[in-house]
Amino acid sequence: MTAPSNAERPSRDDASQGQLPLDPLEQDDHPALTGSHRNWPAWGRWLFAGALIAVAALLVVLPALVDSLALRRYASLIVLSLGVLGIVVATGHAGLISLGHGAFVGLGAFAMGWFLDSRGLPFILAVVATFCFCAVVGFLLGIPALRIKGIYLALVTLGIAVVFPSLAKRFPSITGGTTGRPVETTMEPPSWTGLGPEHAVTVRYYFCVAVCILLFIGTRNVLIGRMGRAMQAVRDDEAAAATFGVNLIRVKAGAFGLSAGLAGTAGALQAVLFPFVSHQQFDVFLSFRLYAAAVLGGVGYLIGAVYGVLALILVPSLNDAMGSAFGADEGLLKNDVIVFGIGLIALTFISSDGAAGLTRRLSQRFFGSEELQ
Amino acid sequence: MDLLLQRVFDGLFNGAIYASLAIAIVVIYRATGILNFAQGEMATLSAYTGYLFVAPASPALAGVGLISFLPGLPWPVPVAMAVAVAFGCAMGALVERLLIRPMEGGSELSVVNISIGLLIVINATMAELWGTIARRFPSPFPEESDDFLAVFGARLRYQSVGVWLTVLVALGLLGLFLHRSKIGLAFRGITSNRSSAQLCGVRVGRVLMIGWAVAAGLGALAAALSSGVVFLEPSLMIRVLIYAFAAATIGGLDSPLGAVVGGIIVGLTQSLIPGYIGFVPTELSLLPPLIAMFIVLLVKPTGLFGTTLVERV
Repeated sequence: MTAPSNAERPSRDDASQGQLPLDPLEQDDHPALTGSHRNWPAWGRWLFAGALIAVAALLVVLPALVDSLALRRYASLIVLSLGVLGIVVATGHAGLISLGHGAFVGLGAFAMGWFLDSRGLPFILAVVATFCFCAVVGFLLGIPALRIKGIYLALVTLGIAVVFPSLAKRFPSITGGTTGRPVETTMEPPSWTGLGPEHAVTVRYYFCVAVCILLFIGTRNVLIGRMGRAMQAVRDDEAAAATFGVNLIRVKAGAFGLSAGLAGTAGALQAVLFPFVSHQQFDVFLSFRLYAAAVLGGVGYLIGAVYGVLALILVPSLNDAMGSAFGADEGLLKNDVIVFGIGLIALTFISSDGAAGLTRRLSQRFFGSEELQ
Repeated sequence: MDLLLQRVFDGLFNGAIYASLAIAIVVIYRATGILNFAQGEMATLSAYTGYLFVAPASPALAGVGLISFLPGLPWPVPVAMAVAVAFGCAMGALVERLLIRPMEGGSELSVVNISIGLLIVINATMAELWGTIARRFPSPFPEESDDFLAVFGARLRYQSVGVWLTVLVALGLLGLFLHRSKIGLAFRGITSNRSSAQLCGVRVGRVLMIGWAVAAGLGALAAALSSGVVFLEPSLMIRVLIYAFAAATIGGLDSPLGAVVGGIIVGLTQSLIPGYIGFVPTELSLLPPLIAMFIVLLVKPTGLFGTTLVERV
């Protein structure tokens, strides 16, 4: 079948004939999605498994390595990986460019506070309820994405990100208005652990990491399944996908819903880690950070969300370290977001598919698995 | 009645600012199909550059003591504005040449990445150099509290009139440039059919570079004018950018006339709706234009004056 020419994205047709497509949006099946590392030699697979185990072990022992203040800071960045994952799902897999995921993180945080304080839900149920609530909101916002495409969707989501803080101020009973409000229900160590309240941060940390891991696994399963393939089909060619019987509303709105639910859960977990919510935490620069982290990590790959959150953690740490190396009280830069901006521009020139794409190509070179293509 | 008239005057003033930035967006979009998310930040940086020449002599107030060696500061305000516009033009041309042209034929995502990256970099640079303190760009027009014309009890400020006239003159010059100059002709040729224009010998790259320069200059003018009324701070144009995008979308993204009409509509809704609809406080005045933009994109994506694009599948 001839691919219908797409007037909006003429480059697609050029790239799909001819040479190896490097753009992640061109790739249909790569190991990050299909979960297949079977083309790798045995030692490559061991290396990959070893890396996964090392990351998991680091997550487990982290509370023993750093003090509770640093732990909370790391944890609040680790949970943002869910927001980055949301962008990976929406932008990388379904082709819906979103610059507004910071707003969903904020929505999740406020919803979590409300479910905990006003509804009195236990923590696990409140997280589930927040995920569902944000997913429904995302689903409803995703329906217009059937007509609003490409760069226009970027525009609308940017508008949502800009307006969200002022909108949140309009509902002071939930958001605390201008000053924000504390979340009264805080997570303390349950009695069966026999830990005192001084271990609260550790318990919250493990809770958040567990939720993140569960959602990463769940998202991976969605992406390698029927829904994930439908999303890629829609991303690559909407008309062709519809011809093959893909339900566009379900796939697009569903992808946006899943993505918003993930971002909202990031906000919910932040409200658990640091029981205070304020509109100031969720300004447009949070959205920019999340977007930049996703693109730097590799927006077409699930693992890109992990690399992206590594950037979110490493950049401020390096900034502080360099600042103290130069003898300043604070970081070298007043605002490290500039690193993400430079990264976005540089990356577009170097490798459009981010760190994940880069490591994948390196592994291909070393493991020589050309049949992956 | 006089309150309504006052709000209309305020709305028209804002509308003039939005319209100029919207036209900058439209000029680039028409020729290249690119929405430049960094348009607002480029404009703010130009306004800051102009501000250096009218800033009080103290480096602490000016933020940067970069040019304190220049004689006779502060310079007259119109000169500083001209500097801002010139700086904007140069930046627009550089951005086109260095960042946009290499991306030619790339995916939509890479252009979004470039312009968002540029937005972040410029914003953070300004915050680094000047801090987040709000500053006031002096206005070239009389701005004392009694400098107004009383119209049916409403105050029509000389400053508003001055800003309108400046924007009108700028738009007139833009129109002359596009319709009476050779480069303008080439630019319109590229807009209407890029490859044909290239075959006719138009040097597409160079003409587009000039187009970006003109657009960025217009944006710089808008930022310098508006920072005489609201304050000059690094995030000055982020909200204005959304208003301008709303204006451009409502008017039709490929129509300069539509951008002007859209700008006036957006300016009026911004001043009228919070005044008459209780739910929307002033600080939420971004919401109505955003919703309007949303509805236009859903119902009539070409906007009021845009041309319908026939897509071949």
